[in-house]
Amino acid sequence: MSVTHLAPPPRSRAHAASSISISDVSHTYGARTAGGMLALDGINLDIGDGEFHCLLGPSGCGKSTLLYLIGGFIPVQAGMISTSAGPVTAPGPDRSIVFQNFALFPWKTVKDNVLYGLKKAGFNAAEREQRARHYIDMVHLTGFENAYPSQLSGGMQQRAAIARTLAVDPGILLMDEPFGALDAQTRRVMQEELRTIWRDSRKTVVFVTHDVQEAVFLADRISIMSARPGRIQHVIDVDLPKERGEEILENREFIGLSEHIWRLVREQAVAATRGAH
Amino acid sequence: MMNMADAKPLAGAGKSPVQKAPRPSRPISPRMVDIAVQVAVVAALAGIWEFGARFGALNPFLLPPLSVVLGRIWEDLIAGTVPVDLGLTLYRALTGFAIGAVIGIPTGILMARSALVRWFFDPLVSIGFPMPKIAFLPIFILWFDIYDTSKIIMVAFSCFFPVVAATCAGCSSLDKWPIWSARSFGAKERELLWEVYLPMAMPQILTGLQVALPTGMITTIVTEMLMGGRGVGGAMIMAGRFADSVGVFAGIVQIIILGFVVVKSLEIVRRRLLIWHPESRK
Repeated sequence: MSVTHLAPPPRSRAHAASSISISDVSHTYGARTAGGMLALDGINLDIGDGEFHCLLGPSGCGKSTLLYLIGGFIPVQAGMISTSAGPVTAPGPDRSIVFQNFALFPWKTVKDNVLYGLKKAGFNAAEREQRARHYIDMVHLTGFENAYPSQLSGGMQQRAAIARTLAVDPGILLMDEPFGALDAQTRRVMQEELRTIWRDSRKTVVFVTHDVQEAVFLADRISIMSARPGRIQHVIDVDLPKERGEEILENREFIGLSEHIWRLVREQAVAATRGAH
Repeated sequence: MMNMADAKPLAGAGKSPVQKAPRPSRPISPRMVDIAVQVAVVAALAGIWEFGARFGALNPFLLPPLSVVLGRIWEDLIAGTVPVDLGLTLYRALTGFAIGAVIGIPTGILMARSALVRWFFDPLVSIGFPMPKIAFLPIFILWFDIYDTSKIIMVAFSCFFPVVAATCAGCSSLDKWPIWSARSFGAKERELLWEVYLPMAMPQILTGLQVALPTGMITTIVTEMLMGGRGVGGAMIMAGRFADSVGVFAGIVQIIILGFVVVKSLEIVRRRLLIWHPESRK
């Protein structure tokens, strides 16, 4: 474990924002057997310090796989992934992740879920308490600190998971379709909140989604991935104002860019469907 | 079997995954009706037993009236033999059960986590689980003594297998997401064991314990019957030898009560430990 993780300075950032460099990464599922499936093929991507980057592509294009590789959850088979802290070999608290299905600890209350990461990150008791309260409040779960995940709705569970991840102040925030299970209204609110949190904390965010509008709304840059095997087809800069609220949905540039990206994604989606037959 | 026992509460809870407020209290809850009906059935059977024996429908030697049996328990209670026998039986059953659980739970976890441990234990558990464990009693008597040690080891041996099987099954099918979460927060492999695997597998481990506990009770009674001496089983076999049917039934009634109390206590422990689980909010 890194030294910074064991002794974080109080009330300051435990981990500085970090760039991510992905070079020539390929990944095959079931590589040891004859019927191995190539999920990622020669991925090259550099994500800058404090950038909000979206990985966009049809289902099964390997975008989650790429995220898990960055997270260190599955070992890199070919190529190299590194952050400012060095090559990625295992999961670590400098890269926190929010999963699609929340992955809260069901036997812990909301507060204990948040405290778990803080304890592991080495915050002292008073700080743990204070940070837990702050982040639970940020995701509007005050009053539900002592509820167990099974007592909460999907949206509330996801907010708890986000609070848990943000509380440890990771330099890199990995998000795997975190709003996929939410209803449209909650989703919109969460997107706006995430954008605000990101703007205030300047973390590097890698956000996986298959929702074009979500990607354009959130990202600085979008990587459009091809259908299996996953390759990065296009990298698109999102030149929209930093301040993005509800009104941006009617912005002409926003609409134009969304349509452009939608056409690019659609090609891949069509290819994916053809490939399946 | 264990999976079925576990799936039942989960399936029931699935109908209402989101329950924000407790149900408003009604004067008569369905649960109270359930309990009332169950008590009535037991009372009716006890009544049939009592009056059937009393009015000659049943031979009072073969089936002495319940009141006579209860009277005997009362006499023995005052004489001091019931507390000694019940206490001994309970001591042997619970000690054996605890030993079986303390060895069985870590073994099950290690089997699920380590191929080496699994290779060694898997054939042993596969053979041992369906085997009638009591067959080992003569050997245990030879190896250990004819007093408490061999009885407790016999009970521990019989409790070990259901605990190991359930724990191993519970730990092998763990959801990977909470494990990944913990690892991303910096949990080490050794910490994962206590902090993630054990609580996650807890529902199935408890199911294993709930299978093991009655098994342990049965083994205790049978062991006592076969080996004689003090204890409820020993007292019953003595009563049987002297054709004292009242004494035998007194033993049966004591075992019923003891078993009920012990099994219910474990259910309460389960509810306490799984307060977070949807099954606890039915």
